Amino acid sequence: MTGRTMYPFNAIVGQDEMKLALILNIINPHIAGALVRGEKGTAKSTAVRALADILPLIDVVKGCPYQMSRAGDPGVCRDCDNTGCAEEIFNGNGVDVVRRKVRVVELPVSATEDRVVGTMDIEHALSKGKKRFEPGILAAAHRGILYVDEINLLDDHVVDVLLDAAAMGVNTVEREGVSFSHPARFTLVGTMNPEEGELRPQLLDRFGLCVSIEGSRNHAERVAVMERRIAFEDDPDVFCLKWKEESARTAERIESAIKLYPEVEIEREKLFSIATQCMEAGVDGHRGDIITLKTAKTLAAWNGRVHVTDEDIEVAAGLALPHRMRRQPFEEIGKGRRGGGYAG
Amino acid sequence: MELHNNRTPAEDYLYPFSAIMGQEEMKLALILNAIEPRIGGVLIRGEKGTAKSTAVRALRRLLPEITVVRGCPCLCDPGSALHACPRCAGKIKAGDYTESAYVKVPLVTLPLNATEEMVTGSLDIEFAMRKGQRRFQPGLLARVNRGILYIDEVNLLDDHLVDIILDAAASGVNIVEREGLSYLHPSRFILVGTMNPEEGALRPQLLDRFGLCVEIGGEGNLDSRVRLMEMRESYDNNPVEFASRHLSEDNGIAGRIRSAGERLKGVVFPQRLLGLVSEICLQNNVAGHRADMAIKYTARALAAYEGRSAVTVSDINRVAGMAILHRRRDALPPPPPGHDNHDNHDDSGDREDRRERGQNGSVDNNDIKNQPHGNEEDRGGERDGTEEDYQGGLPDPEPPSEEDEPSGTAEQVFEPGRTFRVQRITQEKDRLVRRGSGRRTRTRTTQKTGRYVKSIHSDKYPDIAIDATIRAAAPHQGSRKKENGMAVSIRRDDIRRKIREKRIGNFLLFIVDASGSMGAKARMIATKGAILSLLLDAYQKRDKVAMVTFSQRKAAVNLPPTSSVELAVRQLSEMPVGGRTPMSEGLLKGFNLLRVHLVKEASSRPIAIIVTDGRANVPIDDRLSPQDEALRIAGEMSGEKRIKFIVIDTEEKAVVRFGLAARLAAALGAEHFSFNDLMAGDIINIVRRNIR
Repeated sequence: MTGRTMYPFNAIVGQDEMKLALILNIINPHIAGALVRGEKGTAKSTAVRALADILPLIDVVKGCPYQMSRAGDPGVCRDCDNTGCAEEIFNGNGVDVVRRKVRVVELPVSATEDRVVGTMDIEHALSKGKKRFEPGILAAAHRGILYVDEINLLDDHVVDVLLDAAAMGVNTVEREGVSFSHPARFTLVGTMNPEEGELRPQLLDRFGLCVSIEGSRNHAERVAVMERRIAFEDDPDVFCLKWKEESARTAERIESAIKLYPEVEIEREKLFSIATQCMEAGVDGHRGDIITLKTAKTLAAWNGRVHVTDEDIEVAAGLALPHRMRRQPFEEIGKGRRGGGYAG
Repeated sequence: MELHNNRTPAEDYLYPFSAIMGQEEMKLALILNAIEPRIGGVLIRGEKGTAKSTAVRALRRLLPEITVVRGCPCLCDPGSALHACPRCAGKIKAGDYTESAYVKVPLVTLPLNATEEMVTGSLDIEFAMRKGQRRFQPGLLARVNRGILYIDEVNLLDDHLVDIILDAAASGVNIVEREGLSYLHPSRFILVGTMNPEEGALRPQLLDRFGLCVEIGGEGNLDSRVRLMEMRESYDNNPVEFASRHLSEDNGIAGRIRSAGERLKGVVFPQRLLGLVSEICLQNNVAGHRADMAIKYTARALAAYEGRSAVTVSDINRVAGMAILHRRRDALPPPPPGHDNHDNHDDSGDREDRRERGQNGSVDNNDIKNQPHGNEEDRGGERDGTEEDYQGGLPDPEPPSEEDEPSGTAEQVFEPGRTFRVQRITQEKDRLVRRGSGRRTRTRTTQKTGRYVKSIHSDKYPDIAIDATIRAAAPHQGSRKKENGMAVSIRRDDIRRKIREKRIGNFLLFIVDASGSMGAKARMIATKGAILSLLLDAYQKRDKVAMVTFSQRKAAVNLPPTSSVELAVRQLSEMPVGGRTPMSEGLLKGFNLLRVHLVKEASSRPIAIIVTDGRANVPIDDRLSPQDEALRIAGEMSGEKRIKFIVIDTEEKAVVRFGLAARLAAALGAEHFSFNDLMAGDIINIVRRNIR
């Protein structure tokens, strides 16, 4: 996702709930993703692509197709023939570890299954006469963000594969002559336009948070949207430069929230209040409780606090529960109860 | 061979089994299967986020060890020549010293996207290229021998894989005949699957393969929910530390499993309890005998697990539910409470009889037999037509409240009635290739997207099956000259093309009569319920739906073709009823919609469902009788053979019936269901019989 100049994240007008959901996911990957539902032209895709701007850094083995943080993992590295690092380790040499930004990997709606999970490396097979696994999009997305635009239009069997990997945190491949598995833990970010059809409940549940957005009804905001867009299109580089400082500030705030997160505490009574809310909302299973808790804690960290407040919980519930509430078949998502709004 | 090591990169980080809150039945079922493989596996059915997958993966750590022939890809038992692979069997019989090793019971995950040859095993490419000889490379079915085959989201598994699994599960061997190889090896495994019923049902045959089935839900108790959050949080903060804290507890369970396995042989199953088992199975109309066996083995395993040496009545009662849940005739998940109270009185007499015949009538197994049963059409000769009227889960002909009577012309809005389950309505599978996506009808596809099911010999298409191509070329490598430094020389006649298959959604058009004659409240509610059921089915199959209604003096497309079933449902529940019946116009509108669709997608096969009582009273052309006009239009429409028509007749069963809808159906060449067919839940079977 490099090469093109991205519209800066902070320059997006309004859509605070969406921005918050994305930021919280960056701070805490355990929140397990965000689904952005909204009509056309509401900066859904722009926001996700712009994330690249503010993502934190992680340690990755140089050139590792599986984004491992260290070499020598008994499961993956032993069978990985893609880089020279197995030999390096064998020879007693260290492997270069580099620091790079968390990646946003885009899964196009037209992606084929073999590109997603990986397949046999044809070139290697033909030139060397050996089997080798060619990693797919799921390998690239490990420890990063997997972004699916128009996720409701994704082919059904690709969705099945995604579900499989998201549930396990592991991508298991048994196809076309290769048998391989590698970790695939990613933050799933999807955007969709509900007019085009709903998402399958099972996939829906995999998203930690869900926000519904619509175009701004505010006159001044609409004008601001137009102005900024034109300014960006006229000269993207200058425009980005103008926002650079603010992007850096956001990135910094994210970094410090990540550091703060492990210290965030929550009182036991507050857990009861989360559980009560979830039960009253009638959510399926327990993922709602867990995600609400994590989101509330992350919110506190984002706001530089080490204690979770009731307000955090309210906002978190508003993000984590609307798509999990037990609905009548086909009742629309978010109908019935809207949680607290944005309070970032 | 590294093949069998139970590869888990992150076994240390797995959520520990003993730390799973609640879900006792699921945990018990898994443990009992680990003790006694003959139980035949477990299907875990439940809503999202209830630790289904977590539990199965955590089970891996608790599994006992087995003795295997060292180096055998099928993990053959050195003590048994009977179930060994050909190579080991020879050695064992001949009394050759076979080196043995201990490994954990393998737990192999079958990913949903696996290709056929990886499951069955196929030619070893590397070996063939190096040596120019054919050698069998064992697949997943070999690795899972004597172990557990785990399928997450098993209801989403593709049919071609299901067939292979069923075949192996039934025979205990995997026979491979492909690529010039002929190979047979044992493949006896325990099936463990998880599924979320929202995503669609499982094929009954596969369902029956699971020894046990447990239904799980979320914790209702506030305290345990909080506890669960705390556990999860502490796990996420430091998985390794968390896992090590539960290590001793996990080891305790593993130890109990091991000693139970040793004790199992000595556990007695008292003869007198066999009667009870068959009693339970009979009372629940269980198909086949697999349930009896499952109960027996499970009860024994339970007794062994609890350190007893004989099976008791309470053992049987505890496990019977698990063995029967998915085998009762209906095999449907229990509908929400409150829907199933009207099927009791009639049954009781019948049950009393059976109880007298049985020998252990005193046993209380209410919890099992009170669960509802749906499709009972083949419950045997002793039950007949009289009870067709109260089958569970169907639209109620007469809801309790009857406030407003239909008033002829005034429009009213009724909420949809109850929904029920619709089974497969599908167009025939043919050899046409299509584009699109969905879940209803299977088709060959030209896009590079469908599932790669197999490969054929062809060089015409760009979608080359590289694995199959190399496999075809591999044995000849020794004799061929290598070109341009390539390691493999491939000739034109080696090239194989992928055959892909996928399901595509159909286009369902509902043409709904919303005129006054339909307005009898009860009828409209039930009708809406029936349509809603079809829509639910349409969702699971990812169909496109559209709806045309006709009432007053006009027909309207009130839902243009859309994949959003939500929209359709909203339209349906807001649909007013009343006024006269311009049927001709309704039919025409619908037909035009279908024609437009067929222009866009010439290879599609739409299904039109016409819901009406057949009475027409507004013609397009005033000179014709409305009824005749409608029939003539219907006759014209029947000329389009690509459309499948279904007429659902809403005319009530009465002394005088007009049979107008039947005439309409005849003119359309459509299937015709009377409303009462629908009430009896038979739409499913009738539709299936005629459409498939």
